[in-house]
Amino acid sequence: MSQDSDPLDGAHVLLTGATGFLGQAALERLLSAYPNTRISVLIRRRGSTTAQARFDALLRKPVFSTWRERVGADAVARAVAERVTVIEGDLGDGVTRLPADLDVVIHGASTVSFDPPIDDAFRVNVSGVVNLYEAVVASGSNPHVVHVSTAYVAGARKGVIPEEALKHSVDWRTELESALAARAEVERDSRRPEVLRRALARARAEHGKAGPQSTALAAEDARRAWVTERLVDYGRTRAQSLGWPDVYTFTKALGERVAEEFAASHGLRVSVVRPAIVESALRHPYPGWIDGFKMADPIILAFGRGILKEFPGLPDGVLDIIPVDIVINATLAVAAAPAEPAKPAYYHVGSGARNPLTFREMYEQVRAYFEAHPMPDGGRGQIKVPSWSFPGMRQVERLLRTGERAVDWAEKALLHLPATERTREWLTRIHRESQRLEFLRRYADLYGVYTEAEVIYTDSKLLALHQQLPPERVDEHGFDAAVIDWDHYLQEVHCPSVTGLMRQATGRGGSRTPALKLTRRTDPDSPPIVAVFDLEGTVIASNLIEGYLWARLADLPRADWPRELASLAAALPRYLRADHRDRGEFIRTFMRRYKGASEDELRRLVNARLSDVLLRRSFPEAVRRIRAHRAAGHRTILITGTADVLIEPLTPLFDHVVASKLHSRDGVLTGFLATPPLVGEARAAWLRRYAAQEGVDLTRSWAYGDSYSDRPLLEAVGNPAAVNPDPRLYQHAKRKHWRIETWGRHTGGALEALVEAVR
Amino acid sequence: MSRPGFVLEVDERTPALLVHEGEGFRLERFPLGTRVVYPPESLPGIADVDAEIRRALLNPHGIEPLPELLFPGMRLTIVFDDLSLPLPQMRTPDIRQRVIEHVLELAARAGVDDVELLAANALHRRMTPAELKRTVGERVFRAFFPKHLRNHDAEDRANLVHLGTTAHGEDVEINRRAAESDLIVYVNITLTAMSGGPKSVAVGLASYKSLRHHHNVHTLRHSRSFNDPPNSAMHHSYNRMAALLEKHVKIFTIETTLNNDTFPSYVNFLNKREWEWTLADQARYLAVKRANDMAPPRLRRQMWQKTVAPYGVTGINAGLPSEVHPLTLANVHRQQLTEVNGQADIGIWGLPYICPYNVNSIMNPILVMSLGLGYFFNLYRNAPIVRKGGVGIFYHPMPNEFHPVHHPSYIDFFEEVLAETTDPVQIETKYEEQFATDPWYTHLYRSSYAYHGVHPFYMWYWGAHALEHLGDVIFVGADRATARRLGFRVASTLADALEMARDTVGSSPSITYLHAPPLVMADVR
Repeated sequence: MSQDSDPLDGAHVLLTGATGFLGQAALERLLSAYPNTRISVLIRRRGSTTAQARFDALLRKPVFSTWRERVGADAVARAVAERVTVIEGDLGDGVTRLPADLDVVIHGASTVSFDPPIDDAFRVNVSGVVNLYEAVVASGSNPHVVHVSTAYVAGARKGVIPEEALKHSVDWRTELESALAARAEVERDSRRPEVLRRALARARAEHGKAGPQSTALAAEDARRAWVTERLVDYGRTRAQSLGWPDVYTFTKALGERVAEEFAASHGLRVSVVRPAIVESALRHPYPGWIDGFKMADPIILAFGRGILKEFPGLPDGVLDIIPVDIVINATLAVAAAPAEPAKPAYYHVGSGARNPLTFREMYEQVRAYFEAHPMPDGGRGQIKVPSWSFPGMRQVERLLRTGERAVDWAEKALLHLPATERTREWLTRIHRESQRLEFLRRYADLYGVYTEAEVIYTDSKLLALHQQLPPERVDEHGFDAAVIDWDHYLQEVHCPSVTGLMRQATGRGGSRTPALKLTRRTDPDSPPIVAVFDLEGTVIASNLIEGYLWARLADLPRADWPRELASLAAALPRYLRADHRDRGEFIRTFMRRYKGASEDELRRLVNARLSDVLLRRSFPEAVRRIRAHRAAGHRTILITGTADVLIEPLTPLFDHVVASKLHSRDGVLTGFLATPPLVGEARAAWLRRYAAQEGVDLTRSWAYGDSYSDRPLLEAVGNPAAVNPDPRLYQHAKRKHWRIETWGRHTGGALEALVEAVR
Repeated sequence: MSRPGFVLEVDERTPALLVHEGEGFRLERFPLGTRVVYPPESLPGIADVDAEIRRALLNPHGIEPLPELLFPGMRLTIVFDDLSLPLPQMRTPDIRQRVIEHVLELAARAGVDDVELLAANALHRRMTPAELKRTVGERVFRAFFPKHLRNHDAEDRANLVHLGTTAHGEDVEINRRAAESDLIVYVNITLTAMSGGPKSVAVGLASYKSLRHHHNVHTLRHSRSFNDPPNSAMHHSYNRMAALLEKHVKIFTIETTLNNDTFPSYVNFLNKREWEWTLADQARYLAVKRANDMAPPRLRRQMWQKTVAPYGVTGINAGLPSEVHPLTLANVHRQQLTEVNGQADIGIWGLPYICPYNVNSIMNPILVMSLGLGYFFNLYRNAPIVRKGGVGIFYHPMPNEFHPVHHPSYIDFFEEVLAETTDPVQIETKYEEQFATDPWYTHLYRSSYAYHGVHPFYMWYWGAHALEHLGDVIFVGADRATARRLGFRVASTLADALEMARDTVGSSPSITYLHAPPLVMADVR
């Protein structure tokens, strides 16, 4: 394997983590520039997607486009068919059989995230490594293993880090064992009554109105989230207690130790490659190629979008960025230069040692880029780029904490305000602000260490390897970080690449509520589509109490009004409390007021006097929407807790009305309901049953509601819409990208309607 | 004697002139040379109205006196003009109440038992019990409501009769009770020259099937103006229908006309010529204007809607519609006609707070269009006050406001139809049928107090002639988004509007301002 033209000529290379960023780049490079290699890729099954299917999908990625354009699709297909073998297997899960004729193993598999739960991190980055080396040993071949690690395995240190084995005395076996046991422990903890009670109490306060099932679901979600959060905390804290910034670098460091042990015990040839922060390609496969957002990119984007007003980071700290193609060239060069058996070799691939980019320089470059190419501001011109003063970690931390507290408080306060346009606007602003702070918090916590780093990773061994390259290969296959011109790389390669996607997304202008498109149901044999409407607050602006007042006062001699109004006012707090707890309870309590009324008299009164009041208080937009649904061939359904007699004037709009029935004896109302009021989850349950009976296609159906208690109903259909939502529903609708409608432009006021009713 | 109408030419001595703009008004200085058309001064009202009614009923034109037409066992139907007349509503007792009381008295004396009262509301909204009571008076209301005092229901298929088609193929379909009566007594108020005569029964008691033969774009474009029956295609159609009606049912009509006492005494200055305002008038103007501008919109609307006119009655004539109507028209012309010399490049109209379809309601943008480009533009004989291709300038704030109960189909017309097109022909062909037959609108028209689904279309057609005639339409002080939806331009001041009009009519246009209300009809020579 020492031919000048192709150092890996004839080699059989195993690639793990081929679907990842580095893996894709390595695979592409091997396929396109090392024509005489055979490649096995170890890919894990994901859900029902087989390894082969994942590999086929991988081939359609942009990384292969340059090569495909150069040689043609047929040549690509041929090369893949002849040279690539897909092996299905999961390193985290146990032993996989590997081919017996491997010459090189490039181990690039790793966790994607920096702060995964501790057991996930260990399973992939430690167990996975153990399993790989066991499989290599079991395969009977004796390949050169290129173990891809990270420069940051050195941990939170200052000064110069040489290319050698890490110095620490952490026992990976003990750590692995307790990490894997952590989940069971946390799961057990999460089920303790105190913890569950807290989750339940919170869920009840937030979701109680939506019903018991929603509350239970929310509590269980909260428990699961708590488990994950705990496990992340376990990982991060354990890592920090041993001198690593996060569980990622910690487990990668332990992975190296595993590799060293195997090298020593089985005489394996192992080379450890430690790249720094890998970013978009400088040249190969094309300038700017990147797969998803990498470490620095969210920050660059956030900066360009004006979100990052300040950021922790030392202005003179070195941000060790290295383009992916340099890393791949280095890795493949290392692969072609095997280490001695049982004597692992170490290589740092970074820019910090010989071509350092300080945090301040990076900031200036990025700033210059965004000043020259500002981000569009959704149809409102362009976003202003902030200036950073590098106030240091402490100051940023204080700013963050104050902001978080303020947002938290404001959000809580807003949720208790009535549902008005202004409340919703405030909520949107708070929501945006809290997202901004959450983002900052995540990145400040996570990347603080990287951007505050005062550390240099030497790369003299790698440089030596580079210098051994034959001159004709230097240009194509070189990996000297000194060739990077940061101005060029940041302003013309990297930033345009990472902002490209975002520009497309935000350049299209503001995201107003999209125009309504009701799909017309033309085929009478297709499953019916329904449009379900809540009544109060959705179709009409009034509520039970108002309706009662119209009916009562219209019927009562004026002299008796004060008594009635006083009695109603006195009972109001009780009603409000009942409503706050449970909509059904409120309806039950309130309907008692109709006790003793004549049923026929009430019906007559509604039809003669109240129908216009009801229409006056209805939303014309709602009526139009109901009619539009009908015109599109949908079935319109009204679901309400109000008594059916009170809404008779609206019934011609609906194909089906589900309302409460007042119980009567001998034509006199008893004040009780004949059936339980349909509220909250009962509505969703009713709709599901109706859909099952009638064969309704709920995914294409619509539901409209105004209150958080309508959430289960809205969730039951494919097209939910929140109408003049209360703050809590608004928040939920925003998060779920539901349609939000503001109706009631021409609706008469309550007082006007009352005057009309009693005139 | 009242002074005749006249045309003022604005010169240096002319004070600022009053312009109506919705629920408000302003004093505007017009460019020198602007011609301002004033109506004849309000005619004196008849002193003894009851005596005059008796005289008319006993001395009808072209038919026997009313007592001779009444006999025991007959079916008598008294039909009266609905809420859309007069504007504003008149001080009680309403002239219709007085006439109806006399008719009922004669009927009682003749031993007639089967009497029904019908409001001729066609596709207008039903009158509420309170509105009916106000129109016919407490006594009649108590005796006849609700069984024998009703609104006409143009969608009650069982209670409509198709009487045949005219030579032009026009369906004549009217209220069954009226058609099958031995006598229809029609009680009318003719406020403008378009009303009354053949229109009363043929339109007031008709159905959509019948109305669409004359309420359409083609007819209205050929009605020049619809306030001048001999030159109105719409009235030609009415005449054909009325002729057919005459063969089936006997109609005894009582037509009344009113003078120009449009505004009550506390805003009397609105009835006067500006240079004749006394100090008291000027003070009152300032006070009313100030109070009006400061009042909250809802209160302001209520105050205007509560305004009732102290109209005097200028004529009462009874008999066969075709015989009576010319006399009525002469009375209208006596009160409203002013001769104007030639057309101008620019016509200006100030639109008041009321039109026939927003009594006790809200003047929505479509009604504003219909009032301006329909009713006011068509207040002419011979030729419009503006030349073809000239510019119409209208004053109205045109807020985006609708009455959800009275005008539900208007809201949808505004949101759905006008968002697509403002071209009357396109609107008619593409949307009319759909709105006219919509079951929800029909339901609301019949059981609530909504105008018929097709009514906003008629409002739009009402302006079709003006839309075709005018080169540009500019609204002063209107809500921009709303006016744009209607296809009109908006200026914040008259000066800006004139500046905008330059593109169409050049830099030194001739201008005519129609000073109404009180109503004036321009006889353009």
